[in-house]
Amino acid sequence: MEERQLRGQPDVTLSTHQQVERPSPEGGARPARKSAGRRPRKPEFTARRGLVIAGYMAPAALFVAAFVYYPMVRGSQMAFRHWNLTDLTDTSWVGLDNFRAVLEDPAWPTILGNTALWVIASLVPQFVIGFAIALWLRRNFRFRGLYQALIFFPWAISGFLIGILFRWMFNSEFGVVNDLLQKAGLIDHPIAWLAEPRMAMLAIIVANVWYGVTFFAIMILAALQSIPDDVYEAAQLDGAGKARTLFQITIPYIRTTLALTVLLRVIWIFNFPDLIFGMTGGGPNNETHILTTWMITITQQGDYGKASALGLVVVALLLVFSVFHLMATREKATREEKGARS
Amino acid sequence: MRTGKATLALGIAAAMLMAGCSTGPSDGTVTLQMVESLTNPARTKLLKELIAEFEQKHPKIKVNLVSPPTNQADQKIQQMLQSGNGVDALEVRDTTVGPWSTNKWLYDMSKDLKGWSGWKNLTENAVHASQDVHRKTYFVPYGFYGLSLFYRTDLVEKAGFKKPPANWAELLEQAARIQNKDKRQYGYAFRGGAGAGNNVVAAIEAYVADTIDPGNGYKLIDGTSIFAAPQALDALDTYFKLFKKASPPSSVAWGYPEMVEGFSNGSTAFLLQDPEVIATVGQSKAIKKDQWSTAPLLTGPTGKAVQPLATAGWGIAKAAKHKPEALELIKFLSQGEASTTFTKENSLVPILKKASEDDFYKTGPWASYVTMTAHPDVYVAVPQPRDVPWWSEWSQKSDAEVQRVLLGKMSPKELLAGWDKYWTEKWKSGS
Amino acid sequence: MISKESVPGRVARVSFLAAWLLITVFPLYWITITSLKRPGDIFTFPIAYWPEHLSLENYTGLFRDHQFGVYIANSLVVAAVAAAAATAISMLSAYVLARFEFRSKSALLMATLVTQMIPAFIALGPLYLLMTDLDLVDNRLGLILVYIAVCIPFCTVMLRGFFENIPDALEEAAMIDGLSRFRALFQVLFPVMKPGIIAAFIFNFVNCWNELFLSVTLMNSDDHKTIPTALNGFISSFNIDWGSMSAAAVLTILPTMVLFAFASRHIVQGLTSGAVKE
Repeated sequence: MEERQLRGQPDVTLSTHQQVERPSPEGGARPARKSAGRRPRKPEFTARRGLVIAGYMAPAALFVAAFVYYPMVRGSQMAFRHWNLTDLTDTSWVGLDNFRAVLEDPAWPTILGNTALWVIASLVPQFVIGFAIALWLRRNFRFRGLYQALIFFPWAISGFLIGILFRWMFNSEFGVVNDLLQKAGLIDHPIAWLAEPRMAMLAIIVANVWYGVTFFAIMILAALQSIPDDVYEAAQLDGAGKARTLFQITIPYIRTTLALTVLLRVIWIFNFPDLIFGMTGGGPNNETHILTTWMITITQQGDYGKASALGLVVVALLLVFSVFHLMATREKATREEKGARS
Repeated sequence: MRTGKATLALGIAAAMLMAGCSTGPSDGTVTLQMVESLTNPARTKLLKELIAEFEQKHPKIKVNLVSPPTNQADQKIQQMLQSGNGVDALEVRDTTVGPWSTNKWLYDMSKDLKGWSGWKNLTENAVHASQDVHRKTYFVPYGFYGLSLFYRTDLVEKAGFKKPPANWAELLEQAARIQNKDKRQYGYAFRGGAGAGNNVVAAIEAYVADTIDPGNGYKLIDGTSIFAAPQALDALDTYFKLFKKASPPSSVAWGYPEMVEGFSNGSTAFLLQDPEVIATVGQSKAIKKDQWSTAPLLTGPTGKAVQPLATAGWGIAKAAKHKPEALELIKFLSQGEASTTFTKENSLVPILKKASEDDFYKTGPWASYVTMTAHPDVYVAVPQPRDVPWWSEWSQKSDAEVQRVLLGKMSPKELLAGWDKYWTEKWKSGS
Repeated sequence: MISKESVPGRVARVSFLAAWLLITVFPLYWITITSLKRPGDIFTFPIAYWPEHLSLENYTGLFRDHQFGVYIANSLVVAAVAAAAATAISMLSAYVLARFEFRSKSALLMATLVTQMIPAFIALGPLYLLMTDLDLVDNRLGLILVYIAVCIPFCTVMLRGFFENIPDALEEAAMIDGLSRFRALFQVLFPVMKPGIIAAFIFNFVNCWNELFLSVTLMNSDDHKTIPTALNGFISSFNIDWGSMSAAAVLTILPTMVLFAFASRHIVQGLTSGAVKE
């Protein structure tokens, strides 16, 4: 089981005695790797090692520092200043006032709730459908390449454009969604999708699911193909049923992929105001706002101070989530590994 | 070999640098950067033609027109202005002039334009709009937006009416009779989405027209807000009935494009909109030219209507490198053929006195604008406080609250009380 | 090896995949059909699922009234150069992060993740000022540099996964044979990782190809516009030019779809080699 063939280079076979892939949560040391048959690094060469590390990291670090971190840090100071575009003659330091303004805003609890709903209700169907597609795409069939290219295309469209496209499709009088539902006999009267807060929320989530399934499908499909066939053969010999194979072999095997993909998607969906902005602009009655669309609204009012504070709150929330997510997925993996070893 | 790769990479980077660099002419030609904000492809094309004409007359001036997409334009322009780089002439609107001049991003042209021969050709409204309260000129208007009622002549006639509605009550009556949900025929293209607040205010202003402050459409003569007036509630009563009885249910979320679409595809009979829409509706294949026209803005029980004129124009950035040349460009755009062409093709209320004598403005859909100009006592032009710093905050607040009323989560009374309080407090604390 | 499929299983699979295909493709069909209608026929009621008159008017208009060819060329150059450079740079950083243990590593990885959380607008203003100082505003090279920086974090995380799946014995053997580490990386590991690198390149390319805000902020003149900016230009405050926009959207999606079709095997194979086992 540990004997794994290197993909992409079938003529080089190496037995590395690696354990089933361990998650290497960002920030975590990976002691298991070292003990699993890898030669420990020679510590004598530390100076040279340091140079290699620095030299190889330098280009990436320079680019990211100059064009991502520098502007961001410089921009973040707006969060601690009175920074309103309607009057920039006074940009005095106000400490945490902007953060207070965000957290004390009457809209804050509702929008936070909406954000949670938006993330979870988009993520779960994306995950389930993406998983199903990936599972079923493993089996080869004619035109599979074409099929993949077709179902992967939503990912190639920008979020704002998707928003606008779906806004017209969900238009209650001239939209194609109502027309199709009526033709299918599912509804009698056109539904005023974007005019009613709950329906509008449903509509933007449908659009987001449509858009986001692709990423899960690609990532999971890729991960599934990394499961060696002999694992399944062994399971079959054991007489494991389909459901058992899925839950006891497939999912545990690609769990680290799933964990990382989910993490990335949570961050991206959280930071995905484009679609909502194109589709409802946060309405009706501001009830489809999530934190990041609300932030755009605040910038449009010119209050960059408050908007930046909200932006940093978003970063903080996501950081806390990431840390917990990484700890949870790592802990579980370590525990299971211990169980497997004993 | 390692260095070989590195050299190669450097070489590529250098080559990219060379390719990216643009060469600047050094023969004394000045290149103006001009930025527009209400961008649309047809207008950009027209502007380029006008600019080409200007360049022909001024061979030493080149104009580089920057046309960011409308949705991102304001943010981009603010960044450019803040950096103090890259803008000479720019489009300034009544909603942006306040904050931009406060931030000292705009150049006051009043001294340079003293004694300009073009002033006498401008309409009174245009001259007035070109000066702010401190008599500074941050932009010269290129035209005006004003409301008129687009209506379907055939549907009105079929419903048994001889004339289009002249006031809000008549509109409600006609629109309600035309509405037939089963046939997907609706009365009024209601504005419930972006911009909803403005239309509510237009209705209220018509009801308080007798006592309105001629200098501020949101104030009464006695200094209180129009929202505190008892007539305001009557206005809302009629206005929201229009939604319940005579509009498509989804119009809760209708903004500009949906409204215009709802009218041009034939599904609604009435539309309250800017003259810009004339061109769009004129291209409609769903309704023919003889099926629609425009009527003057609706009056209230006072028999008067208040025309909430909106405007935009061309100004100069304070950090502009070539102010005299930019000024020449603005003068050129604000006079003669250039201005007339621009207002005609964009369906704007013209800034030139002479333009209203043009046959173009006397016939068809434009006739109602002539009617309105001819009766300034009935169709009173009152400036709206669109240049206050809190205008965008107000727009978002008012739009959201109108939707709350439409969804039954707020009563019209609460709406008015809240708006009255908002403006009264802003005026007290503001300048 | 996949177990044999039962008849109900097959029915479930085929119908599910077919249903999802329909759902995904319908909006694409809808834009394509809209783009092929005559400009005046776009909004007719009842809704026409097949255009009465097919017309290429919207497409010819793109090239006649707008410099759409120029926009495509700009997008191609910017996205291809930025994606290639970002992939190359990320290979180096990913390699180090996969192969070495060092103290600041966890901090670096967290910093990589944080770049995905930052709302772009915070950085836009200072970025514009920086690019003004560097004299790189309205310059394709400037946009390329920024795109490279934006692509690096995710690309590094992705490529790091590939490296971790390749035993280090491979390049160590090469180094013992006298190759420098740099050459070992590009001569020995590169071929092994080719599918993964192609996948990373495509991710980068699509991200740059679709990027709007940075492009709007940093580019001024019409000659330097990229496709997303042009696409958004069809939305004006009072009207959306659906005909031109859907034609432009189809032209925008086509290249990425072709890329996907050609590379879908590489993508899956590439990711298979471990990107996602991060």
